[in-house]
Amino acid sequence: MTEQELLSAATEAVVAANEEKACEVAREAVSLGLDPLRVINEGFTPGMREVGDLFERGTMFLPEVILASEAMVAAVAILEESLPADQREKTAGSVVLGTIEGDVHDIGKGIVATLLRVYGFEVHDLGRDVPLTSFVEKVAETGADLVGTSALMTTTMVGQKALEKMLKEAGLRDQVKTMVGGAVVTQYWADKIGADAYAENAQEAVAKALELAQG
Amino acid sequence: MPIAHSVVSGMGGMRTAGDLVARMQFTQKMRISEAKAYVANKLKVSAQDLSDVAVMREVREELGFGVVLGIPGDPKGMEAKARIAEVLDIRINCVERLKRRGRA
Amino acid sequence: MSTYKVRAGDGRFISMTADEIRRDLIEGSEDAADRGGIPPLEENEIDRLLDLFLDQAGVVGVQIGNQVVSTQDGGDHRINADAGSCGLALAIGRIQELHLHERAFGQDTIELGHIDYSYKAVRPIVAQEQSYVEHALLTTTSPLMYGAMPNLGLYYAPDGPYANPSDLLPAGKVKEALAAQEEASLHAQRDIVYVGTRLADSGLDAMNLDTSGSAGDADFLASLNAAEELKAKRPDLGIEMGMASEFVLGMHGRLSYKGERLAGMYPHDQVRMAEAAGVDVFGPVVNTNTRRSTPWNVARAVCFVKACVQAANIPIHANVGMGVGGIPVLDTPSLDAVSRASVAMVEIARVDGL
Repeated sequence: MTEQELLSAATEAVVAANEEKACEVAREAVSLGLDPLRVINEGFTPGMREVGDLFERGTMFLPEVILASEAMVAAVAILEESLPADQREKTAGSVVLGTIEGDVHDIGKGIVATLLRVYGFEVHDLGRDVPLTSFVEKVAETGADLVGTSALMTTTMVGQKALEKMLKEAGLRDQVKTMVGGAVVTQYWADKIGADAYAENAQEAVAKALELAQG
Repeated sequence: MPIAHSVVSGMGGMRTAGDLVARMQFTQKMRISEAKAYVANKLKVSAQDLSDVAVMREVREELGFGVVLGIPGDPKGMEAKARIAEVLDIRINCVERLKRRGRA
Repeated sequence: MSTYKVRAGDGRFISMTADEIRRDLIEGSEDAADRGGIPPLEENEIDRLLDLFLDQAGVVGVQIGNQVVSTQDGGDHRINADAGSCGLALAIGRIQELHLHERAFGQDTIELGHIDYSYKAVRPIVAQEQSYVEHALLTTTSPLMYGAMPNLGLYYAPDGPYANPSDLLPAGKVKEALAAQEEASLHAQRDIVYVGTRLADSGLDAMNLDTSGSAGDADFLASLNAAEELKAKRPDLGIEMGMASEFVLGMHGRLSYKGERLAGMYPHDQVRMAEAAGVDVFGPVVNTNTRRSTPWNVARAVCFVKACVQAANIPIHANVGMGVGGIPVLDTPSLDAVSRASVAMVEIARVDGL
């Protein structure tokens, strides 16, 4: 197998959510002495990007995305063994996530949590119907880079505005970025309450989180 | 919101023949043109008349289908629905239930 | 260059030139065509939409004779609570609200529904709901529907007996998440059929399985199986199936109905499944993008719904409410935006009702 063929095989293994094949490709890359970072960045990562696109278009589904992500994680672990410790993959950032108190809708938030994990974030998912104080406490405890809140009702979206104030009062607002989403939330609302980002869907939430985490 | 749609695009409910056309959709799976044609034929009016409050007020009064501003004695509620079932030749569940009870 | 006022997807006025509006109409239509694998709108249809948006009247309407059946969902809480749990609009009783819809607003059907609007919540109080149905039927003339959601979310922890896929999937517990959804789907089907048969026995005209698929493909499957079972048990009960979103979310991904995978289906395929289940009226949904203009959103929604109408053999009642069918995401949407979406659905998508 040429290097190019191996990179393509890595991409295909992730898209097919085939962990066994992904690990086999990773082991072959190591045995051929290829640059592990190149295999990750040009082989496995494009596969995950394609998985994200397919999910966004509704032709690949959540369980398959998770299996694809597990295939990638297993393969990357094999490749990382041959890397010096300082070059090993770090987390993309740390996120505190939850649905605002009074709101029991957690499907969209769950998808965002899943995709953020797939893209390498450390996710502290507080669940649904989460008291605003719990968000503040978790941000203080973990030193998270981001806090994401979901609201699907006009009666709970006001909690996102209150959280901005509470984070300021706790002296945490300067060290954490805020993201808002949910069926009734818009960019206009995000701007109005002073949130750092708004996402229309889960895929956009990941893109915005990556953008914010990279500063 | 549904009120806005009723005004902009709706047939007019029991002010006209909207409720009758809706019944054909829900009992016979008729598309809009077919449902309008069926009801118009039974009522002996044109399909366009079905959304015309001036025509349908009179037709409904004559057939005893119930109108929004009925005078005392006009058929209302269940009585009106029994007449609708008969003229449109369809089964209306609550009317069938009443008939069963009446026979019991 | 002259500009025209149109709404953004979040409900605010924006100004656009005629060329910009036309560009957005074409892009919206092409986005639907690309995602759904369906034809884009024809040139003359784009022209008609452009006319609608260049017309700066506050309210527009369909041509005389083009009117269609107008139904509502959300139960009898449109007036006293507007959009479900989003605030008290007017404190009136349930039967009064039905009379208002029938006699004052000219709706072609009327709908009862519990404030929680979920079949799971209705099951333990179905006797109360039967009483309301029986009372309502005595004094109303229009077809009476009963609406609620399959709402599979209520069957998962902490509200229900099954582990929550929203917790299991992020934790990588895929097999457990799939099993939980399969069990929850069967449970929801039982609840819908239980409620439906009892309401039918009280004389109800039709059931509305609203926001089907809201919790993904297992939710949609529960609706389809329940519709099929209800039609077998109570053939005279009409069934409307309204969807929750434009494509079926693959929270499970492998569920099928009549041999076809449900996840990822767009409206023109969803309606085939609904027909196979015996559904009488189907309500497609197309989501609004708050970042795009109403011309973009309306053209996109009309393109999807037109394909659904053409694929269907049963009446199509498009969902045209807050955040769907080209309507902005605002719980009090403006009449100028609502009326344009309404006309576009009737005169271009050729729906059988709204």
